[in-house]
Amino acid sequence: MGGLKRKPSSSAKALAKSKKKKGPHLPNSILKVIANQKRPLNSDEEDDDDVIGSDDEHGGDLYEYEEGVPEEESRKNNRYDRHDNYDYELPDDFEDENVESEDDDDGGNSDNDEAEGDDDDDDDRHTRMLQSLTGMPSAAFEGESKSKPVLFTEAYPEGEFNPTRDVLEGKNVLTEEDFLAPLEGTPGYQKTSKQIARMRKDTKHVVHAPLPKPQRERLERKAVIGLVDEEFSKWVHLVKKNREAPTVYFNQDVDLGYSTVGAIASEFQPRTEFEKKMASVLNDSEVSMEDHIKDHNHIAKMRSLLFRHEFKSKRIKKIKSKTYHRLKNKDLKNSSLGALMDPEMAKEEAMRQEAKRVEERMTLKHRNTGKWAKRMISRGLNVKYDGPKAAIAEQLQMNANLSRKMNSMRDGSSSDESDDEEELNDGADEDTPSRLIAKAKEKTLKALEDDEVPNAGLMSLPFMKNEEANEEAKRALEEYEEWENSGGENSKKTVNVSGRRVFGATAKVEAPKESRKDSDNFYDDSDSDNDMAGIEDNNIEPVRDNASPARNTITETEKFDDDVAGNPASKTTFDVAMFASGSWKKMAGSKNTESKKASRKTRAPIPQAQDKKGWRDEESEDSESEAEQMVDGVLTSTSKETFEVPSQAELINRAFAGDDVLDEFEKDKEEVLNQEVPKPEKPVLVPGWGDWTNIQKKRGISKQMVQKHEAEKKEWEQGLKTRKDARLKHVIISEKVDKKAEKLHTTTLPFPFTSKEVFEHSMRMPIGPEFNPSTIVGELNRPEVVKKTGVIIKPVKFEEVNPNDEVDDEHPRNHQKQRPKKKTSRRQGKVKSK
Amino acid sequence: MRIKTISRSVDEFTRERSQDLQRVFHNFDPSLRPMEKAVEYQRALTAAKLEKIFARPFVGAMDGHRDGISCMAKNPNYLKGIFSASMDGDIRLWDIATSRRTVCQFPGHLGAVRGLTVSTDGNVLVSCGTDCNVRLWSVPRPSLEDSDLSSEKSTEVVHSICGLYLQECVILSFTSRAVDHQFEGDLFATAGAQLDIWNHNRSQPVQSFTSGSHSVISVRFNPGEPDILATSSGDNHISIYDIRMSSAARKILMRTKTNSIAWNPMEPMNFTAANEDGNCYSFDGRKNEEAKCVHKDHVSAVMDIDFSPTGREFVTGSYDRSVRIFPYNGGHSREIYHTKRMQRVFCVKYSSDATYVISGSDDTNLRLWKAKASEQLGVILPREQKKHEYNEAVKNRYKHLPEIKRIVRHRHLPKPIYKAKAESRAMNDAKRRKDDRRKAHSAPGTVVTESHRTRRIIKEVE
Repeated sequence: MGGLKRKPSSSAKALAKSKKKKGPHLPNSILKVIANQKRPLNSDEEDDDDVIGSDDEHGGDLYEYEEGVPEEESRKNNRYDRHDNYDYELPDDFEDENVESEDDDDGGNSDNDEAEGDDDDDDDRHTRMLQSLTGMPSAAFEGESKSKPVLFTEAYPEGEFNPTRDVLEGKNVLTEEDFLAPLEGTPGYQKTSKQIARMRKDTKHVVHAPLPKPQRERLERKAVIGLVDEEFSKWVHLVKKNREAPTVYFNQDVDLGYSTVGAIASEFQPRTEFEKKMASVLNDSEVSMEDHIKDHNHIAKMRSLLFRHEFKSKRIKKIKSKTYHRLKNKDLKNSSLGALMDPEMAKEEAMRQEAKRVEERMTLKHRNTGKWAKRMISRGLNVKYDGPKAAIAEQLQMNANLSRKMNSMRDGSSSDESDDEEELNDGADEDTPSRLIAKAKEKTLKALEDDEVPNAGLMSLPFMKNEEANEEAKRALEEYEEWENSGGENSKKTVNVSGRRVFGATAKVEAPKESRKDSDNFYDDSDSDNDMAGIEDNNIEPVRDNASPARNTITETEKFDDDVAGNPASKTTFDVAMFASGSWKKMAGSKNTESKKASRKTRAPIPQAQDKKGWRDEESEDSESEAEQMVDGVLTSTSKETFEVPSQAELINRAFAGDDVLDEFEKDKEEVLNQEVPKPEKPVLVPGWGDWTNIQKKRGISKQMVQKHEAEKKEWEQGLKTRKDARLKHVIISEKVDKKAEKLHTTTLPFPFTSKEVFEHSMRMPIGPEFNPSTIVGELNRPEVVKKTGVIIKPVKFEEVNPNDEVDDEHPRNHQKQRPKKKTSRRQGKVKSK
Repeated sequence: MRIKTISRSVDEFTRERSQDLQRVFHNFDPSLRPMEKAVEYQRALTAAKLEKIFARPFVGAMDGHRDGISCMAKNPNYLKGIFSASMDGDIRLWDIATSRRTVCQFPGHLGAVRGLTVSTDGNVLVSCGTDCNVRLWSVPRPSLEDSDLSSEKSTEVVHSICGLYLQECVILSFTSRAVDHQFEGDLFATAGAQLDIWNHNRSQPVQSFTSGSHSVISVRFNPGEPDILATSSGDNHISIYDIRMSSAARKILMRTKTNSIAWNPMEPMNFTAANEDGNCYSFDGRKNEEAKCVHKDHVSAVMDIDFSPTGREFVTGSYDRSVRIFPYNGGHSREIYHTKRMQRVFCVKYSSDATYVISGSDDTNLRLWKAKASEQLGVILPREQKKHEYNEAVKNRYKHLPEIKRIVRHRHLPKPIYKAKAESRAMNDAKRRKDDRRKAHSAPGTVVTESHRTRRIIKEVE
């Protein structure tokens, strides 16, 4: 056993192997037979346990057996004879063996060995001892020793740790049978032997010898390691989450009790009768928060309005000037407000306006047709002087105003009067609905005006009325206009047909298609109607005329598109416009805004036409049903003019006619070159010594200076040549390093970053309060650890963390940190390309 | 044409109180502020310089012991109190917040006190020492102590009441070197010739671990996993135990002795060992064949180590008369604290709110430091706080730029440390050069340079 313990633990496997190899070579059964045969001879004083132990598969003893009988020894023994035996000396390696085993053995054992060594040499005495011990005849020992002339040199007394040679050789081993043999014939013998046989078969219940301590500890440690590792591993997700969190908060779990009065109040539970009653009352009257806020806001608004009005009226009242009050009253009367308030006045006003308008139209007084104006213009004074210029402009403005007024009036109450004289060609079908609508409009307006006007209170205040009235009027007007538009659609079929026709004609040229994914109902209706109407109605002329009133009304600037809309002959211009659809639309848009000031009636047909063009242009490539094409084809077969499509290059040239990009770029490049590789200055004569004596002039510029200049020039040329962009005509590559910007760059990529792009991205946005709204500045600047002085931080507590969850606190800086990154290059190549 | 007008209602811009700030509208269009990078860089530079100017970490010294301070313990439940024990057997409780003086003493030990710890609830103080005694003391209630302080501010009467506090005394057969208390439990461990686990209420250890012939010199319970503890022993071993098991879980054999161990309170699997060779080694409790991080900077043995409760940094005290603060994942220290009169530092503690650092040294003094040298103490207004945060963020953002890096990293070192560092650097350089040459002149693959993280670790014992 001891020997095994001393073996280095690393060779545990090898030991196991050696055990198998070098163990007793004979199987146990044979050994047993041998032992039974030799039983009478074998009568040593060994412990039974030990013998059994040697039989065992663990057999530390077997190992020792191997150690204990080195081969040399047996060979040596063969050399010795009995005589030599008497003056026996310890062999050299004997000492070593002793030392080895000495460590393991008890002190008592080693004490014994010296005494044993002394009387060992005497063979006779030994035999005698054996005889006395075993009680067997000495002949037995004699025979044994004779047959095998072996010198037994036992350094230790036989015992637990030092078995006899026989045992070591696996020969005379005690077995159960040895003990049973004397009992043979006694009553319990059969039973016992059976039991033993059973025991031998049953290997399960054999108690193995305990493992050596280091091995046992190693196994134990392994088991514990598994458990502890498991314990540690459960924290991994939590730790990872904490580490990746942009900010860890340690100031959260501070319980200060109630912080606000509101918090205390929210915890309140009614206990007494009275309290409960109050609570029930409070809870029953459920005024929702929204309603409350609305009410509150409303009241506040009213109050502030009242207050301001009061203030204003006080101030006005204070003004003593009579003229002011007179003028104010007049204003009030003249204003639309006054007109709205008083229908009579409104009518009067309208009449007056109408008269003015008529007069204007008749006389064209303000269109520079006056004597004075003509003179001014003919003499070119209006250009020269500011005064006449302003006057003429004013007149024109007035003219425009008047004509505009006229248009708007037609929309309103006076439509029936103006319609007859202006819209000569309007069909009867249009008249009736528009009139009805106009009437309704008027009525509503009247009703609105006649509505009860409170004499006192907030509502009686002029501004309140104003507000309400305006609102109502607007709403009503909108409604009617909508009506009018949609109604007008139906009534103006012919107009639309004409428009459609026109487009159909052009469609033949570059096949504009229509699909109305985005167009609203407005167009849908009209078009479906048109398709039908277009076939039925072959009359083109009235169509054209129908469009003309619309054209008449619009101003001169709009002439272009009007022509397009109304006149199918002028296709060329239209087609160009179609090509440059973007610009066309822009124009249309601007016109729309312009004409907003004009009456709705005039506007109505125009945007319609324009819009139509617009969406046709946009979707000209879309597919269209064949039937429609056919229709178009039939209708447009009359027109024979074709349009040449300008090439793309031509169009581009036309579009960028004024830009000279190349020249500009060249200039830019020259500038950059001059800055980076400055051209050397030519040496000039500097007035100085000899100037007045004319010597300097004679000599000219000194040789040195010229040489220097030459050298500089060469260098300059060289510099220009070696530039990276020397041969690249359309590129500027600047290699100049900005020294001031250099300190903002780093030569190496900072630690957590692995790619330059990410690093630069992380540095791109400033984090200061000047550059960011205050809502995110706090987040941008938040430190990694937020703690509070005086708050004890407890160690981490275990909680389940889902590893798939993302970190809840999204933090801009977080991204910077997590992402890999790279460095900024010190040299920043500036590349400009055309 | 649309005309944009500025319309601002009076209500929004009226201050509620006269102390309120005037509301100012900012246009954050980046084209209006083209120089933001340069501006922020300049601010970072200024912030770095200001940090240097305001770096005054030393708060105060507490004297009263008559011998070198051997160990300290912080009350996990009460910020203001700290216990310290000295080599002459004197244990004191200090009030570090207001008066910075001894609140009471715990006389009883005859030899040097080597270990001191407080239970998590802060009621029981455990001490052990070379007189083979383990003593349990009941700690005076903080509230009482406060009232005492207010009434007897000028007198030293407090000393007379201290005899009352001895609760229990266990006599061992050997001197114990260290003691530590379990977190949230009533077990504590003493380390000496063997490792014993004790219960408050028993006079016999609940469990004992023996390992080898060398004594255990430090023991520390894991705050996150209360049943796991780590020890270091005189035979250069670091061991991890689970007190529910009968034997050690892991054993690491290093080349030099480990003086102290600290577990990361926020990452229960990680601990850092303060080594005799002047480095600290951070280990993952599951993989011990190599250190996760080697923290270098001390020039002499590291005597004690304590983690910040935030788990983000730790403080070390060294035999080279300096205290350093390391980031938990950084190779070099963030801060070094030293004074002319501070001698060998034997024990350091991080305060429970991660704001202060306390060091006990051979010169019989306890010293109180700020954990962040330039931190402004006292109540900070929100705007001030924001400003500090911005400065910190901007400095952090540009810390890699050479000028700022230089300013931030610069520290004044005492001459002996400076010289020792230079010397060790020279030695290391020479060694590296030699290794490189050896490598260059031998067959490829025959000479293997071991990484720093494994160099000082011999093996993990199986």
